[in-house]
Amino acid sequence: MTEYFAVGYVLRPQGIKGEIKVEPLTDHIRRFDELDTVLLEDSDGYRQLNIENIRYIQDAVILKIQGYDDVNCAETLRNKYLWIPRSMAKELPEYTYFMADIIGCSVKTQGGDMIGTVKDIIYTKSNDVYVIDSSSGDILIPALKKVVKDVDVRDKVITIDTTGLEGLFPYDV
Amino acid sequence: MSRSVRKGPYVHKSLTKKVREMNKNGKKAVIKTWSRASTITPDMVGHTIAVHDGKKHVPVYITEDMVGHKLGEFAPTRTFRRHGKAGQSTEETTQLL
Repeated sequence: MTEYFAVGYVLRPQGIKGEIKVEPLTDHIRRFDELDTVLLEDSDGYRQLNIENIRYIQDAVILKIQGYDDVNCAETLRNKYLWIPRSMAKELPEYTYFMADIIGCSVKTQGGDMIGTVKDIIYTKSNDVYVIDSSSGDILIPALKKVVKDVDVRDKVITIDTTGLEGLFPYDV
Repeated sequence: MSRSVRKGPYVHKSLTKKVREMNKNGKKAVIKTWSRASTITPDMVGHTIAVHDGKKHVPVYITEDMVGHKLGEFAPTRTFRRHGKAGQSTEETTQLL
């Protein structure tokens, strides 16, 4: 399982007082209000950064990090990801999973036949769609409770019921 | 200018035929269609329709809220990539419908 989640990507410094403009990589932009610290990936692991101030401009977050007081300091954070440990991640309701946990899962049928590995998730205005990388090309599976019967995030295995999905497979299931 | 009410909503003939047949037989299977302009009608509710996005068929489960919209609205033709490639460990979530 993924131990750390990226919550933001530093786009550029904002102004001359050491603030940074961050693109949020989370479902809720206001998520940053709940965070006092974030982690920065370094050559020797993760380093903690204390957040001094948060404000929002349209779809971006402006952060002031403690110890970064001018534009030159802030420039060192450009193009870096801001992380949080899994323990600080949001609690998820039932049938909701982190995208990072789903991508890379192997997909098999209830009969035990291996189909492939989830390589991407397509967001539509209706159900999400899992793109499965299989030996016979990409297979798209709707993320529905009646299709996805079991998600084992620890073992990275998804079990699906292929009843009624015949048209989506390039072969008989 | 909106479509004349007299004509009723546009639904591709073959799609209507397939949905009607399935409803008649009580069968549920994915229906592939290229007709993104077809309007979602109440008899499609509960079916999964694979709508073409120009490259592949995206399976879309039809719910009551979607009635009156066009099928194409639910199969995006462009992929918007934010920073970080697919598989990046972000805090974004996916939900089973």
